[in-house]
Amino acid sequence: MDARLANTWRLTLNEKNFIKTALLSEIRIDGRKPFEFRNISINFGREDGSAEVQLGQTRVMGIVTAKFVQPYRDRPNEGTLTIYPEFSPMADPSFEAGRSGESAFELGQIIDRGLRESRAVDTESLCIVAGKLVWAIRIDILILDNGGNLVDAANIAALAALMTFRTPECSLGGEDGQEVIIHPPEMRDPLPLILHHLPIAITFGFFIDENVVVIDPIHNEEAVMAGRMIATVNANGDICAIQKAGEGVSQRVIMQCLQLAITKAADITKQIKAAVEAYNSERALQKIKRETTCVGNSVKGDQNQTLDNKGISELVGKYMERLKLISVESYASKILMLRKSNH
Amino acid sequence: MEVDREDGRSQNQLRPLACSRNILHRAHGSASWSQGDTKVLAAVYGPKAGTKKNENPEKACIEVIWKPKTGQIGKPEKEYEMILKRTLESICILTVNPNTTTSIIVQVVNDDGALLPSAINAACMALVDAGIPMKHLAVAICCCVAKSGYVILDPTKLEEQKMKAFAYLVFPNSVRSVLPEGSLRVEGEPIENGIITSVTHGIMSVADYFYCLERGRAASVKLSDFLRRNLQQQSTDSSRAG
Repeated sequence: MDARLANTWRLTLNEKNFIKTALLSEIRIDGRKPFEFRNISINFGREDGSAEVQLGQTRVMGIVTAKFVQPYRDRPNEGTLTIYPEFSPMADPSFEAGRSGESAFELGQIIDRGLRESRAVDTESLCIVAGKLVWAIRIDILILDNGGNLVDAANIAALAALMTFRTPECSLGGEDGQEVIIHPPEMRDPLPLILHHLPIAITFGFFIDENVVVIDPIHNEEAVMAGRMIATVNANGDICAIQKAGEGVSQRVIMQCLQLAITKAADITKQIKAAVEAYNSERALQKIKRETTCVGNSVKGDQNQTLDNKGISELVGKYMERLKLISVESYASKILMLRKSNH
Repeated sequence: MEVDREDGRSQNQLRPLACSRNILHRAHGSASWSQGDTKVLAAVYGPKAGTKKNENPEKACIEVIWKPKTGQIGKPEKEYEMILKRTLESICILTVNPNTTTSIIVQVVNDDGALLPSAINAACMALVDAGIPMKHLAVAICCCVAKSGYVILDPTKLEEQKMKAFAYLVFPNSVRSVLPEGSLRVEGEPIENGIITSVTHGIMSVADYFYCLERGRAASVKLSDFLRRNLQQQSTDSSRAG
């Protein structure tokens, strides 16, 4: 659909002046104080590695998937991590279907710098066979609702999804030790990714008057602001990345913003960890429920995750029977595929 | 014939339904629909000025954008877009706003079988939320025929893969009216017996297909009741201005 003049959203002059004048008295139009973040709520989907984050009116979904690839020549021991941001036309009337604009690309780059270049995700643990087979992690970021400050929300969604994503366990085996066997989730627990630290992006908006700085701008404020800075920091006080655009701002203001960013990052890190903990414990409970219904009445006593000792072959037998059509077929075909690619 | 389904449902039992409207703030209308683990999000923007190049400017135009969960947009997505567009064009009153375009964006959140029917239901609810004028609602259901000949409703993804054939059926919603019985019939049959859309995959005999239609129609009555309750409940909630 062509972006027609009649269809683009524009803020009126009156609204713009109202926002600017209110900010001079430190009043924001949604009632927050200049350095107050909106409420964050993190929800997880059915499958591992899918998270939905709501930051005020902004809604972003992060989905993590993985597949096998050959590693890059200059990094034979490392897996890869790629970020695919998608500005869905449902988020904003000005987003077009098909090619996402430059702001989508910028968002992808900022999150990429924060996650990959700061070595937050441990890529060496993604290696299965050095030089031949590694995991390629793909993070899809879907913007569902644009209420302003997409970068921060997308970053939190990506982190939450990464923290709950699980890869199936792989081991080398076979006659020549070159075959890779992928264990289905019923036989061996899938493994979480290793994250060394959590880089959190914090966005600041600058306005014409130097002393006016806001954190976490909403889309009305974004249309009015003169400059923007996105600081990706972690709770340890390390600065992972900084991106600044727009009006020139004095050094003093930048230093203040960075200090503030580190405090906010600590809060947000706590929130993310709490949400992931809650999800993990619920998932563990569900797993126990699932396996007891399958086995029937035989699993008694302490029903914790160490079901390995309690006749796992029995559990597996019943499970494999039920999911025979799907998992065994794909499991067998995966081995075939790997055998071929290993020659 | 008693059929043993994995999640313990009977042949004609649907999965738990959940629907919520007005969940997005920028979109003019939005709805989220879930049937069991299949979850779809739909958003509506419109009517916007102008129609696309090859469309008739004397009528309103409907544009559908289907977004899969991950991956590139390919042929299956284009097919879904086309089916959705045709279905929604037949339920919307296109003469009310000529030379305008209404965009419907469908986002797949999770696919666990019966994806297209869920998307049609979600899109219909989003159109209601946006206030687009419609003749009636579209109620979509999926029926499968197994190799041994029995028919089940609302399959999960595993069940869909095991089946010989399946059909996506879309019916108008059941009518509850104060008008006398005879006036709402089209050519002697009640409106809800009509079929808006039917898409089949796989081989099935004619008798099987008619049996699917019958089962589907019965299920659509239940779905219509669910939609009616859902819409009435939310409209009596505190009104939202602007």
